[in-house]
Amino acid sequence: MLEIKNLKASINSRDIIKGLDITIKPGELHAIMGPNGSGKSTLANVLSGKNGYHISGVIQYKGKNLIEIPVDERAQKGIFLAFQYPTEIPGVNTNNFLKTSLNKVRKSKGEKELDTLTFLKIVKEKSAELGIDEKILSRQLNVGFSGGEKKKNEILQMKILDPSFMILDETDSGLDIDALKTIANGVNSSRDKKKSFLVITHYQRLLNYIKPDFVHVLSDGKIVKSGGMELAVELEKTGYKKIK
Amino acid sequence: MINNFKVNSNEIDKFKKISKQEKEFRIKNLNLFNKNGFPNNKSEDWKFSDLRDIVSKNFKKLDVQIINSKSKNTTLIKNFDHNFLVLINGNLSSSNFDFEEKNKIKIKNFYNDNFSDINKYNPLIHLNHALSDTGYSLEIADNYKFKKTLVIYNIFTKELNENILNSRNKIQIGKNSELHTIDLVVNESKNKFMNNVYENVILKENAIYKNICIQNEKSDGFFHKFSKNTLSSKSKYSSFIFPSGLKFNKLDLEFNLEGEGSECNLQAASLLNKNDHQEIKTRINHLVPNCKSYQIVKNVLNTESKGVYQGKIFVKDIAQKTDAYQLSKALLLNDNSEFNSKPELEIYADDVKCSHGSTSGSIDETSIYYLMSRGLNREESVRLLVSGFLNEIIEMIKSNSIKKFVQKKIEEQIHGN
Ligand SMILES: Nc1ncnc2c1ncn2[C@@H]1O[C@H](COP(=O)(O)OP(=O)(O)OP(=O)(O)O)[C@@H](O)[C@H]1O
Ligand SMILES: [Mg+2]
Repeated sequence: MLEIKNLKASINSRDIIKGLDITIKPGELHAIMGPNGSGKSTLANVLSGKNGYHISGVIQYKGKNLIEIPVDERAQKGIFLAFQYPTEIPGVNTNNFLKTSLNKVRKSKGEKELDTLTFLKIVKEKSAELGIDEKILSRQLNVGFSGGEKKKNEILQMKILDPSFMILDETDSGLDIDALKTIANGVNSSRDKKKSFLVITHYQRLLNYIKPDFVHVLSDGKIVKSGGMELAVELEKTGYKKIK
Repeated sequence: MINNFKVNSNEIDKFKKISKQEKEFRIKNLNLFNKNGFPNNKSEDWKFSDLRDIVSKNFKKLDVQIINSKSKNTTLIKNFDHNFLVLINGNLSSSNFDFEEKNKIKIKNFYNDNFSDINKYNPLIHLNHALSDTGYSLEIADNYKFKKTLVIYNIFTKELNENILNSRNKIQIGKNSELHTIDLVVNESKNKFMNNVYENVILKENAIYKNICIQNEKSDGFFHKFSKNTLSSKSKYSSFIFPSGLKFNKLDLEFNLEGEGSECNLQAASLLNKNDHQEIKTRINHLVPNCKSYQIVKNVLNTESKGVYQGKIFVKDIAQKTDAYQLSKALLLNDNSEFNSKPELEIYADDVKCSHGSTSGSIDETSIYYLMSRGLNREESVRLLVSGFLNEIIEMIKSNSIKKFVQKKIEEQIHGN
């Protein structure tokens, strides 16, 4: 699914990702943990195609090099990033935006564009499945959403767009127990053998629900340790100091 | 190109059957206009909009003759019950008040019986008062609330070619009465022309006036409108204006809050495209205590467009407990667009709440990234942000059907058709 080789990324002449290798196979869920400022969000941004980074190395996605491909095309090819800090966009109705977005993705896959009614049916279905109050979708995009609502909205978008490679950047941070279960449920119900995940988190508690296949520790722009769930458990006890 | 536009005094002789008083009034105004011609940027009020330069660059001649165009069938807004006026090149050509009690409404062609009011500053008003012979006068009796909206179709016809139209309109709403209007510009013209309107709105005690003004058809029109609004006690004025698509547009709006507890709300949202030049100038005079004024003006500026907002709030010494608010926000899509904002507060009372703010900035790249990460391309993302920016104003419209109508118009404009 995704193969990252010797990835380096810098911005404003600051090196942030310093030679990173990860291979994620279809169906796998990889977790990335690591101290604040180690480069986790930067990695997520680089994978999603954000502008402004100076990048070297290889990012192969479904056999194609991604580096030259712009953000919107990556999204259309099935890459999805649930943001750590979703942007508030005043005046833009969430449902309208989502419909445009879904139709762009469908169109690029050669599928028919959906009319409003069909779209709303899908939204209703997916939000019920996640236990999300669909009322927030008639509001302006992320504007005045609580922290938890923003995160849930990201997962709802993920469910609606139905991508094949999903990056979650601290989607579990700042959530109450029920919201955490909502998110975990969103991830688990999307898992199948053709889809993969990269889940960035600081806490073992989300991983208890979603059962990662691999856990990596990112420190100072590099993967310094990889393992299974037991690594997350160990980190929870000892912190990052011992690992370096 | 016109260098020094003056109006020949024999134009006044063409008005037959006017009183001596009216004739003098017209001549006086004609002389005032002719003294300096179109205003240029040396005049403080025209600092950002050098009309003399604009006229001389765009017109070879300017015909002051009144164009008598016959009305073709006007296409009315569908699925929306409404009263209407049809103005053709400023001339009242038909009216329909089928939803109302007719004895409560007086509608007349242009007339003027006020020959004392000589404006001190604005040459365009002088020009208007010298030459205007078209327009309408609408008077609503006391204690009458309109059942349906009044749509005013402002049609500009194909015959227009380097003409200047001068028209004068008056709306007077009686005590405890209420009127909602939509001003809609319908453009059939193909050539350059100027439209110079003088408008007078009078709200008696407790009257309510709500207006929505939609001018968004592309045209080679050069518009100027001066609007003088007088508010008696507890009267409420609200106007949403959505102007754009004109080569030149200046709205000069004056509000006199003369009665206690009166309130005026002004909301404007514009998308300016290449070579558009638009100025909104307001003057709110708080003349008595306990009045409120609220202004929000939003502009989106595309390549090589120019926007101006000059907003002045005047608070007289006795106008205690004034609550005045003014905000201008501009979104510049391109480096070579220009926006000027000049807020002015002149306050002589001490117990007042006045605030003003002005922001202008370019498109937010974080927002673009967010939208693009969901599959929209850059252009679509920008469009969405632009419509979101303007939507904040549209969302303030209370009536759902009108909100949808305006939204559709603005969307068409954003998509460039
Ligand atoms: N545009 C930028 N210019 C300069 N430095 C940047 C820029 N963006 C990120 N950085 C720096 O790069 C480092 C990594 O940032 P990043 O956001 O990727 O960390 P993170 O691992 O996601 O941290 P957290 O756990 O706090 O979310 C930080 O030190 C940050 O200050
Ligand atoms: Mg981060």
